Amino acid sequence: MSFPIGEWLPTSSAVNLLAGVFLLSALAAVIQRRVPGAILGYAWNSRALGAIAAVVAAATGERHVWIAAALVLVTKGFVIPRLLRRTAARGRARAEAQSFVSPTTAMLLCGALVVIGFNQTRALFGASHTILASCLPVSVAAALVGLFQMVSHRAALAQVVGLVLMENAIFLAAISLTYGMPLVVEMGVLLDLLVGVALLGLFVGRIEESFESADTSLLTSLKG
Amino acid sequence: MGYLLPLVLVAPLTAALCLPLGRTPWGARISVAGAALLLALALALAGRVLAGGPVLAARGWLHADALAALLAAITGAVGLASAWYARSYMAHEEQGHDAAGWAAGRFEALFHLLLGSLVLAAVANNLGLLWIAIEASTLSSALLVGYYRRPGAVEAGWKYLILCSVGITLALFATVLLYYSGVGHFAARSAGLQWTVLRDLAPQLEPRFVRLAFLFALVGYGTKAGLAPMHTWLPDAHSQAPTPVSALLSAALLAVALGALLRFHALAVRCLGPAFSENLLVAFGLLSMAVAVPFLLIQSDYKRLLAYSSVEHTGFVVLAVGLGSPLALLGGLFHLATHALGKTLAFLVGGSLKSAMGTARMDRWSGVMESSAPLGVLFAVAGVALAGLPPLALFLSEWMVLIGGLRAGKTAAVIAALAMLAMVFAALAFHWTRMALGKPRADFRDPLPRDSHRPLWLLAALLLVLGAWFPAPLHRLLLEAASAIRGDAP
Repeated sequence: MSFPIGEWLPTSSAVNLLAGVFLLSALAAVIQRRVPGAILGYAWNSRALGAIAAVVAAATGERHVWIAAALVLVTKGFVIPRLLRRTAARGRARAEAQSFVSPTTAMLLCGALVVIGFNQTRALFGASHTILASCLPVSVAAALVGLFQMVSHRAALAQVVGLVLMENAIFLAAISLTYGMPLVVEMGVLLDLLVGVALLGLFVGRIEESFESADTSLLTSLKG
Repeated sequence: MGYLLPLVLVAPLTAALCLPLGRTPWGARISVAGAALLLALALALAGRVLAGGPVLAARGWLHADALAALLAAITGAVGLASAWYARSYMAHEEQGHDAAGWAAGRFEALFHLLLGSLVLAAVANNLGLLWIAIEASTLSSALLVGYYRRPGAVEAGWKYLILCSVGITLALFATVLLYYSGVGHFAARSAGLQWTVLRDLAPQLEPRFVRLAFLFALVGYGTKAGLAPMHTWLPDAHSQAPTPVSALLSAALLAVALGALLRFHALAVRCLGPAFSENLLVAFGLLSMAVAVPFLLIQSDYKRLLAYSSVEHTGFVVLAVGLGSPLALLGGLFHLATHALGKTLAFLVGGSLKSAMGTARMDRWSGVMESSAPLGVLFAVAGVALAGLPPLALFLSEWMVLIGGLRAGKTAAVIAALAMLAMVFAALAFHWTRMALGKPRADFRDPLPRDSHRPLWLLAALLLVLGAWFPAPLHRLLLEAASAIRGDAP
């Protein structure tokens, strides 16, 4: 007797599981003391995003979602983390993430952000019944967590990780609200993101050259 | 069809040509010719729109109404003046630097990539494409901001890139929300992001999400447009970039980013009624003006002074749109164009003065009038323009906005704006009289060739002409652009 996996594991619980991975990996990135750890958190965040997109593609059967899922998995899951890791390895400074707060405090604050994100989303969008009902609150919470990562760290590269985490969260929101945007737009957005991360990496290198450190709190020569 | 596709393609093609030809004298010539062609196509497009109404092209991805044509023409005019000036200015700046950091043709190529992304953003109909073009303009200009590779430029480039990236991420969320607000109304999926489709469907869109989308767009594209309190990157980026790029950033990029915000505003007005988004625009506009004033007063660096003046003028345009009466809207759009001309002139003449006096610090500048009559006159025209004095065009546009605001019954906002304009006038008058008059410096020597003044004279003449005479086609173009935003019959 055949036992089709598609019926045995309802799509919704697969999505719920992946949404959990998405949120937890974002939280894991925030509490890292070193930049490579945060990059690893981002990589798993992106892979969960790609997998969610793939589940949506399987559920809706639309080809353009499959292509988008594959592109997300390759660029965000592998290419961008690699770019970031290379930038981190090139730096002369030790790859401390230089957070303003301890990991414990960060965890507590991010927990509060997640609660706020879930509450606000429910208030704004109401309880929805699509297969992606769990993803929208997760995406809003993850966007807040990414923003927190950006403002709580002094190391330039750690801020970049926060930015790309936020970007991932908006992508998840796009998938859960509308099953993804038109393919050409998604491809353009991904291309912009890729070039943007490459450029940010370039600037991190130049900051280290000019200021002997990648600590952004030293960037105070321009005032008034 | 017609001019739209060539208009979008001309700048990237110029960039592709400039890169290999950079070491030959042809590189700079092609750059100027490309910018001239861009302006010609933009003006032709404006003529076409006036004659035959809005143009759709490329299966609805591109769209030119009067607002798009106006933004494209502004970009073209600023681009031509800057490229023309850059020909002699950058040649002088790059003298004596090692070739490694100053790869030939790189400046021209990046300049035209920026120009191309701005034009694309001006005529994009698909809101996703608009987002992509605005982000592309950030990426291409970040390299130009950091072009000089000194610590200040690196710092400015970093702040610019990171802040505008966060802003643009929020704008992406705004785009997604708008797309979601109309799900179920579209025949084809890709139609759901087209501005023209959304505009026609606007009353049926889900108001909650349109409201949220406008808020995110206001913060997102507002960051890029330099609205306070998201403006903190702007003075750094605009002062550290090479002067021709500063002009392009301050005059064209802010206008185009504002154009993106206006597209969202137009949808919000049609879906929610005017009150919601207009009140927000008035508040942000006044705040931007108020934030800029103290920095204008105490400023010591010429380019930073101009950058804060851009914050102030952007705020004024946003205020004008928020005031909402047809006359205020007309004046606001006119101000977008006149400010672009005036600010370009101010930056470019500042480039010459900076090379002549060896510093951008204003306390070291004095006696410009006596040192060099042509530069002195141009400098005075730029100052009078930015301060909003007659007989130049900015006086006319500011006056139109204020009268329009009174007609709309928003007296308090008009009085606040008037007070701020008076303080701006005081600040600029203080700085300008000290720099233009006074004792001339002994070591004043303008190293740029005489013909580098030509684009500056053109800009000054245009400001003077537009201050005295409001041509009928321009009037119609502005009226139609205003109705594209507000939705009233022209």
